[in-house]
Amino acid sequence: MNHNLSRSHADPQSADTDQQAGHDAGSASPVEQYVFTPPIDIHETDEGLILRADLPGVSLDTLELQVQNNRLTLFGRVPPVAPAEARLIHQEYHDGDFLRSFILSDNVDHDRITAKLTNGVLEVFLPHTPKSSPRKIQVSGS
Amino acid sequence: MAVFRWGHSWSDAFSDLEREVDSILESVNLTFQGLRFGRQYPPINLYDLDDHYLITAEIAGVSTDDLDLAIANGVLTIRGGRKLDEGADETRYRRQERPHGMWQRSLSLPERVAEDGLNADLTNGILRIVLPKALAETPRQIPVTGG
Repeated sequence: MNHNLSRSHADPQSADTDQQAGHDAGSASPVEQYVFTPPIDIHETDEGLILRADLPGVSLDTLELQVQNNRLTLFGRVPPVAPAEARLIHQEYHDGDFLRSFILSDNVDHDRITAKLTNGVLEVFLPHTPKSSPRKIQVSGS
Repeated sequence: MAVFRWGHSWSDAFSDLEREVDSILESVNLTFQGLRFGRQYPPINLYDLDDHYLITAEIAGVSTDDLDLAIANGVLTIRGGRKLDEGADETRYRRQERPHGMWQRSLSLPERVAEDGLNADLTNGILRIVLPKALAETPRQIPVTGG
């Protein structure tokens, strides 16, 4: 019961280096595109779990959220913040896309998952499956 | 007046940024684990365009109501914050990686910026501040009369 979201797919500590698309030397694009693991909060309510992820720069049009084989994956693309001709003269962070995935436990009702995006924060509601009521099983005897 | 600004370039502005004073008003539970920024929050980038400078900052979850920009004496102060998720019971967290609390950053602006033309936009958690460059003052010819 306590492991609805048992682990994240990517380790937040290593994601910055492991998932850099810049390693791809054959890429036609000279622009380095980073992929980051976004920070998340997960908290419980009586009805289910609420997951929040910081995805600054991601809009509804550039966000993909999907569930497949018990894996919830979020991918948010961040379009360039500054015009191409802008000259970067002081940098404290890198622009990049966001990717993270989670294993859902069986008691998450996949069909009723809802999500909203507000001010760059994605909120996903993962409702518990309704508790099944006990079913009487007829026992036949001789 | 412009005479005294000779040599004032972005190399100076850059060192101003380095010297800036950052203060975390309330750093309770401000966690940095797994995040891609260092000590200063929020991290900013600064771009130079033809007729303006652009400052960007990632501040997901901060609404315009919780953001305050002020400019005085050539110092731009950005102040904001966000609470822990509304209505959440702190004892029911499985994971808590997102920073929260109040923060403030002050940036010294270069002198050749038209402060009145500053405008800011907050969309999808990214703050963009546009600082128009002040027009270069054209030298004024001073007629000299002699006798």
